[in-house]
Amino acid sequence: MTSSPAATDTGGTETRNRVWAQPIWLGRAVVLVAAIALIAFPLASDDLYYQNMIILSLVFAVGASGLNIISGFAGYISLGQGAFLGLGGYTIGVLAARYPDTSIWLWVPVAGIVAMLIALILGLVSLRSSGPAFVIITVAFLFLVQVIAVNWVSLTNGTAGLTMPLPDWDLALFNMPFYYALVAVLALQVLMTWWIRRTKLGMGLVAIRDDETKAATIGINLPAEKIIAFMASAVCVGMAGAVYGYYLTFIDPRGMFSILISVQLVLSMLIGGKGTLWGPVLGAFLIEPLNEIANNSWGGGNTRLFLFGGLLVLVVIFLPKGILPAIESLLSWRRTRGKAGRVGARIGTGGSLASITDRVQVVDRSEIPDRPLLEVKGLQKHFGGLKAVDGASLVVPEGSITGLIGPNGSGKTTLFNLIDDTIRADAGEIWLGGERIDGMKSWQRAHRGLGRTFQITRLFREMTVLENVVAAQRSFSLRGLTRVAVSGAEARAAEELLEFVGMRDFRDQRASDLSYGQQKLVELAQVLMLDPKLILLDEPAGGINPVLIERMGEMIRELNSYGKTFLIVEHNMPFVLGLCDPVHVLGRGRTMATGTPEEIKNDPAVIDAYLGEDFQLEEGARR
Amino acid sequence: MTVLLQSVALGLLLGGVYALAASGLTLIFGVMRVINIAHGAFLILAAFITYTLWDVLGIDPLLAIVITTPVVFAIGWATYKVVVSPVRSAPMASTVLLTFGLALVLEGAMGEIWGNNSTAIRPSYADESFTIGGIFLPKAQVYGGLIAIAVLVVLWLVLTRTWLGRAIRAAASNPSSAQLVGIRTASVAALVFAIGIAAAGAGGAITGVLYPFVPGSHYQWIARLLAIVVLGGLGSLNGAVLGALLFGLAETLTSTYVSPSWATAVPYAIVFAVLLIRPQGLLGTRLREDAVAT
Repeated sequence: MTSSPAATDTGGTETRNRVWAQPIWLGRAVVLVAAIALIAFPLASDDLYYQNMIILSLVFAVGASGLNIISGFAGYISLGQGAFLGLGGYTIGVLAARYPDTSIWLWVPVAGIVAMLIALILGLVSLRSSGPAFVIITVAFLFLVQVIAVNWVSLTNGTAGLTMPLPDWDLALFNMPFYYALVAVLALQVLMTWWIRRTKLGMGLVAIRDDETKAATIGINLPAEKIIAFMASAVCVGMAGAVYGYYLTFIDPRGMFSILISVQLVLSMLIGGKGTLWGPVLGAFLIEPLNEIANNSWGGGNTRLFLFGGLLVLVVIFLPKGILPAIESLLSWRRTRGKAGRVGARIGTGGSLASITDRVQVVDRSEIPDRPLLEVKGLQKHFGGLKAVDGASLVVPEGSITGLIGPNGSGKTTLFNLIDDTIRADAGEIWLGGERIDGMKSWQRAHRGLGRTFQITRLFREMTVLENVVAAQRSFSLRGLTRVAVSGAEARAAEELLEFVGMRDFRDQRASDLSYGQQKLVELAQVLMLDPKLILLDEPAGGINPVLIERMGEMIRELNSYGKTFLIVEHNMPFVLGLCDPVHVLGRGRTMATGTPEEIKNDPAVIDAYLGEDFQLEEGARR
Repeated sequence: MTVLLQSVALGLLLGGVYALAASGLTLIFGVMRVINIAHGAFLILAAFITYTLWDVLGIDPLLAIVITTPVVFAIGWATYKVVVSPVRSAPMASTVLLTFGLALVLEGAMGEIWGNNSTAIRPSYADESFTIGGIFLPKAQVYGGLIAIAVLVVLWLVLTRTWLGRAIRAAASNPSSAQLVGIRTASVAALVFAIGIAAAGAGGAITGVLYPFVPGSHYQWIARLLAIVVLGGLGSLNGAVLGALLFGLAETLTSTYVSPSWATAVPYAIVFAVLLIRPQGLLGTRLREDAVAT
């Protein structure tokens, strides 16, 4: 049992992995048996009815598994996925008619490329839409493709459809070439899905699903990742569509671009379990036979509508997570029943970053150049008549821990949002390390050394603690996206940071199971993964216990000694005034005072606008 | 010139009917953030009910609205209570799938009851038209357009001049605060869903007279209605009316000057263009998202 890959996986919490090992092996055994049965079936039986059923199931399994990349991982539900099957079919139909002398199998990969290119266009068009608008645009896309297929008669032969050339192989082989071609495409699809989920790209996609704005602030290039996901979700589907079209021998726009095919794909993915590797495949092999039976034995037509419509309603209401995740949570509930989980365990004491890793070095203060790292000039943001930030200017010196205080509603968090482009400023300039960044997107700012935590923590709730940390992307490159994230160097770096914040024991917990204070620590580790020059902390001491506040202060000081610069928004005055120098005071969207903590404490304007007379009295009493 | 004038007049009359049907969709979205993909199916359902009233009982189809609308209202209310309310808090994409499933079930049910053959409601005035300065306006279009506008005005008065309307708008802008000041948001939601469906029903009764239909026509309708509300700005009633008028014009002009078969592509092209150029629609507003704590 100890030889299971799960247990050797980057070491770590062995007890937990042993608990996991059993179902993983069970799952792999099931997959292996199913794969052997699938490959052996046509050799063992020549029942054409069942062969046909499996061939169609394979087509839908590829479609649903492809859909899973954009809808399951990235969370963009598409009702236009069926279009790529149709496009694959039409590619092979049109090309086979034009070039009768070329082997028709050559057009299968071409169909994959065509589907991928059209997915690129759809991706570009739909980049700015999300949620329901995205679903609508995918439906519109499907119908538009159908209308074009109907009306572009010279290419598609319109509603009359296209007839494929007859298979040229020995008739004794029956459907075997179709069958095994589809098995190969499905294997390719599943392999790609498995690989994507393990890479930085996959982490980025899941991050986009959970919280897109936040994903951008930790360096995830949203349009690039979404478009790649789109193309990845279409390429194998186009190939499967080509084989499917060839198998059908006749294609027409009504059949190939029917919305019901897309519905069936979505349904397969949902029933099996979206975001899982095998869920969509399982779903397709459940739904397609049901579809065949409905068509042949229950009268087809209206029955099919009842079946799909009813199942869709029932699944959304009663089984929103799907079969595989339901089985998994049942198994884990049975395993952990009666045993205390790690939730509620004490947070680790953490440690000095220097003792954990050799990558950090204390910086000599005198070597830090005396220059601003961040400079904000005349920044403005108005929400209608509300001037949230109204000409704010401030400077964060390199190597400093700078404080930013001010009354509620004075524009502190909005200023943070403008600095990291969570919202775009109306006017003003932002300079980071001598480079103007106000025209850049969130992820570009992150790549230039800007990290930021949120007032109300925004971890990716469905991801584990470790995944949350490795999701951060320091830079953007296509090669970088293909790096494996869940093990190896990336995971080791993330574990060191988790050790530093004292959260290593929680690495396999889901982020949504953590307390608020724990989430703050993980979010700090996540931002550190970016290796930022400047870290913006929005109320790091808000809502956590005094011991943790003290630990937070220590960590900030230690990170600062390694050369990290901080800008901190905080209402806890002893914390800010003990930690920060200089301190900026924001009032009515402008910087109203700047100075050392001592100067700020005694500034009459600041006392009047924010601190209040009581603050001075309390300070006096404490002395 | 007369061809153009005639197209514009017909386009605007058609736009009035579209506005009525789309107002329900945008209202439901505005209050409960649910995109009701089954909206077109409810519209066709109302058309079939109108057909039966006309065919069996001989009631004038346009007058039958006073019967059809309450019936569809009740169906909408029941649908909300049984199917939609359990998933109110689910992500928006889930409710889209749910209402899509509902649309398929309705399509299947209508196919079982009324069959999948093309159905047409043809009252005595179906082939008559008014002639004004050389422009031919079919009577059914004129009556239908005027009735649609009248129903819309009533709906608008209810939303702006009554306590119910204020409760609905309060529930739309901030459900939890509305609850705090004594508005039963669950009841308001059920009512809004039913009103929205009833508006689609009234629209369906009228369009049943204008065009022949089959159960599967609801795809065409939901595409149109979505294009209209996306064009006008999701959740905006005024936007839906403006979007509907523009859409009616675009469809009629394409069908006159290009070809009727390309007119079916108009809604999809509009959806693409709007979401590409101005995702919030003509009259929609972008919300301040950063301050919304979850």
